[in-house]
Amino acid sequence: MNQPSKSNNALQSNPLFDLGKERLELIGKHSEALMQGYLQGHVDETAFTVQALDKLINGRILWRPDEQQPLALRPNVNDLIASLTQDERKRQINSDVGEHLDQIHTRVQSLQAARQKGDYAATEHHMQLLTERVYDMTGQFGDAIESLWHRLNTEFGFVSSLDDKILEIELAQRQLRRILDGFSIINFDDLIQLAGSDGALRKLLVSQLQARISEHSGSLLEVQKRLVLLMARFRHQQDRALLINRMSAFLRQHPNFQVGDYPNRSEVPAVVNQAHGIKAHAFVALDRAQDGYALAELARAVPRAPEQGSQSETQTEGFAVAVQNLVATEQKQLAKDVEDFFIRVIESPEALSGVDYLAEQELPWEPEIWLFQIVAEYEGLPQQNKQSFMLEKDAAPQSRFNQLHIIKDVRVGMRFFGDFQAVG
Amino acid sequence: MIEHGPLLERLLEGEFICAVTDEHSFHKLQNEALVEEFNHFLRPLNRRVAKSDDASVYFLAYCDLSQNARHHLSQQFSTTVQSLLPMLEWMQLVQEALGRDGALSAGDTIKLQDFESKVVDNQSLMQRLAHLAGDKVFKSTSDKVDMQIKQVFKRIKELGYLHQPHKDRLFYIVTGKIEHLIELVRFIKDEENLPIDDVPEQEAMF
Repeated sequence: MNQPSKSNNALQSNPLFDLGKERLELIGKHSEALMQGYLQGHVDETAFTVQALDKLINGRILWRPDEQQPLALRPNVNDLIASLTQDERKRQINSDVGEHLDQIHTRVQSLQAARQKGDYAATEHHMQLLTERVYDMTGQFGDAIESLWHRLNTEFGFVSSLDDKILEIELAQRQLRRILDGFSIINFDDLIQLAGSDGALRKLLVSQLQARISEHSGSLLEVQKRLVLLMARFRHQQDRALLINRMSAFLRQHPNFQVGDYPNRSEVPAVVNQAHGIKAHAFVALDRAQDGYALAELARAVPRAPEQGSQSETQTEGFAVAVQNLVATEQKQLAKDVEDFFIRVIESPEALSGVDYLAEQELPWEPEIWLFQIVAEYEGLPQQNKQSFMLEKDAAPQSRFNQLHIIKDVRVGMRFFGDFQAVG
Repeated sequence: MIEHGPLLERLLEGEFICAVTDEHSFHKLQNEALVEEFNHFLRPLNRRVAKSDDASVYFLAYCDLSQNARHHLSQQFSTTVQSLLPMLEWMQLVQEALGRDGALSAGDTIKLQDFESKVVDNQSLMQRLAHLAGDKVFKSTSDKVDMQIKQVFKRIKELGYLHQPHKDRLFYIVTGKIEHLIELVRFIKDEENLPIDDVPEQEAMF
């Protein structure tokens, strides 16, 4: 909320200035110990020197609520901290409108009296106080509403249990109602009369105030609506938790409890009427000529193992094993062919091309797989054996835009005396 | 109608459709005109689209309560009643272990890891879990906490009260079917006049 801007000639000579400054500094100086006191509810007296304690007590910051009670923060200081930290546990919602209205009336009367006397200094002073009072009032409601919103938006997270949350919502609802009741006693006709023909007063007491109050009322009604919704949700949750706990306790205590035979009552309760699941199966049918092609495609797509004429669809497990066997046999044959290739290399006086050998021997392998297997075999050789061979890849970059090289062929030869026997 | 074939099939198979299991279909079923069409289609199969009181879950119910239908209802009902106490105890266990304020409801997520770490921290929760896991509804034979938890959650997922968005990730979302179960519990309480509204609470709730 906007505070009225203080007049520029802030009177530093005013004795209040120094006193207030001194006490604010006092709070700052002892902030740690004071915050501990705020959180614990009482102040640890040993944390202060005797002089400091005296100053804090005389400064109206600490007090002793009762002879037997330990020192504590004064309520106003507590309020100040709660409001600065948005601490909803301790934040006060002040909803008293009547007091403010009384003060406004008195101020206006003093103002008018001063004006009649022609005392401009006093008039200005009263106008300032009046402005502050009006802003204090609307600011206070603004704070209260902000606090209510804050509680709502955090779903009353400052208390932990559902029961406490419900109590807090009830409290907030009562506070809200009091503020709304307070608004209803603001009589703008009275204020219009009070302001009379004074334009500045009219603006302050009537148009500005009215705008603020109607804005606040709108906000409060929204809060009220949201509180009701939240309450309904919390109540619903509480209700469920209770139902579950009590029903399970009951069932544990009465293990032989028999539930009614609801499904066979003349009126079956809706909650037990739940149809059993049915599966719609469908099978291959050849009685429609136009389906023939699609079915034939499907039939062709059914994988089968070569050594067995047909594989029943239902024998899926046997089928998987058969495919695995097939793959394993092929793999063995490939490895053996590559081994033969290496034996040929050993026998041969010069390096051999993998692709040429493949063509020459009329082997059934894809060149790519074949070359891959040769390279793999070579890489898999024990170190000293590997040194006896030399493998040269005939590779070309696939494109100049990437790093991909395609191996077109490999040449394998015996390594004698450390150089590639057949190179060049 | 063709486009709704898969949804109809799932409903016919006995699935419960809620915002958690299939949001798209759930919204379709909120369209009364479409449900009217579905019901017309389902009429010869003696079925109609039904929903829980709070409209959080849709499923199929019988139109005519024929002898055959009642026979199925009886079977189903006795299965549900058998799993009632274990389900309630499971809900309490999760609520307490995870320190939740209210009872579990549709849309709540449960991470098995969180749940497990809370359970192993607390002897009494461990005992209750072991007791629960051994129930004939869950049929766990393991004495290891993690195996018991996995088994219990797997079974509850099979019963349709939990949805697992990722097959290999161990977190679950409570489905709308749980609302239907709570409705049944409330119905039994009212119908049998169970004296549980005034009973002092057996266990500290909070």
